[in-house]
Amino acid sequence: MSSIDDGEKFALGTEGEQRPWQDAYRALVQSFEAGSGRRYVGHSVPRNDVLYKVRGKAKYAANIALPDMLHGRFVRSTYPYARIKRVDVSKASALPGVRCVLTAADIPDDRLKVGSLVKDTPILAKDLVRHVGEPVVAIAADTLEIAHAAAALVEIDYEPITPVLTPEEALKEDAPRLHPNGNLIANLSNAVGDVDAALARADVVLEDTYTNEPIEHSYLEPQGGISFIDPDGVLTLLVCTQYPHFHHKQLADVTGLPLEKIRVIQTVIGGAFGGKIDVTIECASCLMTLKTRRPVKMLLENEEVFSATTKRHTMKIRHRLGAMKDGRIVALDMDILADGGAYSSYSLIVAGRCVVHAALPYDIANVRARIRTTFTNNMTAGAMRSFGIVKLAFATESQINKLADELGMSPIEVRRINAVETGTKTVTGQILHAVGFKKTLDAIEPIYEERKKALAAGPKKPGVLRGLGLASLGYGIGYSGVRNPSTARIELTEDGIVIANCGTPDIGPGSDTALAQIVGEEAGVNIGRIRVVSGDSTKTDDSGPTSASRTTYFSGNAAMLAGRDFRRQFSDLLAKKLDVTPENIRIDNDQVIVNNKPMRFEDACATLGSDVKQIMAYGVFNPDSELDFVTFKGNPYPTYTYATQLAEIEVDIDTGKIEVPRFWAAHDAGRIVNPMGAEGQIEGGVVMGLGMALWEKICRSDGYIQNPGMRDYLLPGAKDAPTEITTIFIDNEDETGPFGAKGVAEASLIPVPAAVAAALHDAAGIRLNAMPMEAETVVKKLAARKGNKP
Amino acid sequence: MANIDITLNVNGKDHRVAVRSTEMLLEVLRDRLGYVGTNKVCAQGICGACTVIVDGKSTTSCLALAAQFDGARIITVEGLEHDGKLDPLQEAFMKHGAVQCGYCTPGFLMSARAFLNDNPHPTRTEIIDALRGNICRCTGYKKIIDAVEDVAARSAR
Repeated sequence: MSSIDDGEKFALGTEGEQRPWQDAYRALVQSFEAGSGRRYVGHSVPRNDVLYKVRGKAKYAANIALPDMLHGRFVRSTYPYARIKRVDVSKASALPGVRCVLTAADIPDDRLKVGSLVKDTPILAKDLVRHVGEPVVAIAADTLEIAHAAAALVEIDYEPITPVLTPEEALKEDAPRLHPNGNLIANLSNAVGDVDAALARADVVLEDTYTNEPIEHSYLEPQGGISFIDPDGVLTLLVCTQYPHFHHKQLADVTGLPLEKIRVIQTVIGGAFGGKIDVTIECASCLMTLKTRRPVKMLLENEEVFSATTKRHTMKIRHRLGAMKDGRIVALDMDILADGGAYSSYSLIVAGRCVVHAALPYDIANVRARIRTTFTNNMTAGAMRSFGIVKLAFATESQINKLADELGMSPIEVRRINAVETGTKTVTGQILHAVGFKKTLDAIEPIYEERKKALAAGPKKPGVLRGLGLASLGYGIGYSGVRNPSTARIELTEDGIVIANCGTPDIGPGSDTALAQIVGEEAGVNIGRIRVVSGDSTKTDDSGPTSASRTTYFSGNAAMLAGRDFRRQFSDLLAKKLDVTPENIRIDNDQVIVNNKPMRFEDACATLGSDVKQIMAYGVFNPDSELDFVTFKGNPYPTYTYATQLAEIEVDIDTGKIEVPRFWAAHDAGRIVNPMGAEGQIEGGVVMGLGMALWEKICRSDGYIQNPGMRDYLLPGAKDAPTEITTIFIDNEDETGPFGAKGVAEASLIPVPAAVAAALHDAAGIRLNAMPMEAETVVKKLAARKGNKP
Repeated sequence: MANIDITLNVNGKDHRVAVRSTEMLLEVLRDRLGYVGTNKVCAQGICGACTVIVDGKSTTSCLALAAQFDGARIITVEGLEHDGKLDPLQEAFMKHGAVQCGYCTPGFLMSARAFLNDNPHPTRTEIIDALRGNICRCTGYKKIIDAVEDVAARSAR
């Protein structure tokens, strides 16, 4: 078994397996090609990894085995906060079959700490543990059973310390300092205009506090990877991650090896949603491989995923909204206290995004936003779909719905009066372009009016209250306020395979397919011959992570530019070979037309022979997105997406159970590259949003997670999803995006909880400010409204 | 602990295997026999990712003790295709966009296959009910249900 072949990330298999697939996939996509206009962009082409996935052949990390492979396992902290008095691994090390037992003592101090933004997270805990589940010891053994047995033999003496479990406690003067620089991870604020004066003269001031519970991403595939040393001596890590290039650089720091001696390849990934962007097994696995010179495979168990990987932040959002009688919002004041957990992870990014998004998608003259995120001894909070904005939208959109009720206005009209438009200046001073927000309101309005009438006129179900609610969003694409370029490089093989090397990995949504569509469109070749290689630190450039809905826009732009460059280089090269002028060569519909005579693309490649290697097409996209994080002035994102969503719910009066039979989502995501794929993003995001709104919560007690596994964590199933989800992509094109595209993935979830909350108020007259809006709470509120004690 | 000799017929092929009494069918399929298309997720019988068809019934293999299945006929996702021809469900999952990350896909395919074998002409509500034991975090279920409904509708003709 060749290690490199097994390291091949490509979902569709190794080079040898590739050819039959190419033919099958080409046949599959042919039925989706349009006769005219754009051939690929805008068409629902099947995913380019789908054949492997439906056949059970996809190479997820768990499915890869290497000869001589060891199995790794962590021993984790059993306390939320404790001093480590003693770690004794002698019995574990002596167990036959144990090949490596790693503790913090084996790692030099200056290489011990890692992290996505701030290096504050020990690979293995030293002296202190800061949360339950923190790795203290790593073990590699001949079998997983031996690794488990050895883990049970590790002796760790702890001296428990009273944990800090809320941000309020963490901010107290006499609170223990959880990290050397204190307990604040983020303390950011921004103000424009005069909020206090505007609130004082507002006709209506609404004030409330909004909260949420921690959420587990609940990707189905647990974190996992395999590290090994390849025949060239390169430390290679196959891992399911959103950002292989980050691990590449970090592993260089941790191991002291030069970058060229390390390769990180993303395996086919079973979902991520922000949960596979931090360090879990990567460093420990590689260090154990370096010690043993053997492959090491580490896979988390479902319980570890729930108890020891990052969670969605909990936030307490104090919100004040001031408006005039005519519906104009004159002031927004928001103060957020967030629980960042034990280590900093992506807390700073989440905080920055909240401040920048405070008013969006509205044009409000006086805005003040502050967020403080603290360390606690809870499990670390990190990135999760929307980077915090779903909580912001729950607060702001709920406030705006209240305002509409207060003023007796339609919730659509209030939004329309305050909506941002092309040319609006945001709180950071950015002038917005290609804004389709009002069009999303226009799309939802007739449905809203029609359903309102239908519900009023429709037959009443006994014991069931029905209601409608809507909410909106504006969301910035890409990193917040720092440059984050993407590149694409295109090569060609003599037998006509176009290899597009793009850095950002496909983490499930189908971005590799979207990139192939963009390259195919721009280069004029059939996407069945395009092989997208993504997420490989050797074959691709660091193009940032797949996060923040950025891949279609950033890598898509780079792929488009590379496709253009490819077409030019190919024509020039063939012109030279055939001794014609390049202007007389065109590539169209997978044919090469030379002096008006078509030839098959393969034949043109064969004509070029080994000269095809001279083609090295390149595209880079590096938009000017910079923000001063002190003044909060600048252009934090190159573009923004917008949406308005409408929920129709039914509330059971006796049980408080909420069902969501119908849901509409109108999105401005720019030009849609793959409608079927984009719809899938919206539908999945809506159901994930419903989970957060109604059912999901990580239950914590004294720093321990009480429901660490799917059995006790309520994930929405097929019966919980709306029977009808209607996605509407409004007609809008962003000229800065590839073929007018913006981005899709995260926006889908953001308005959901606020829309459901509004529908609950419409149905039952109840306003809930805390997620999840559980049946028990609804029943109690219904009873209280009737004046009965439950 | 003594091993127990059993025979498993997987996708039409007999395998003699000595299993420990505590070993789950999922582990035997994946780790001993190499049928890694069946995925392990919750190990609690909740998510359905490990669903295989045992003697015609969809079964969560993560909670099924292998030793109980001597002589059983098991179909995994690898056994859905015949002579290079995909099962109509596999075709429909591709066509309808019912696959995103794909980790739940084999489990959904096997649940749906067992269900359609018993009930080839179900209503949409019956399909939703039949898929209640499978979790998907990516798709929101709509396109999966659409795919199964499409196969049911075509077999009705």
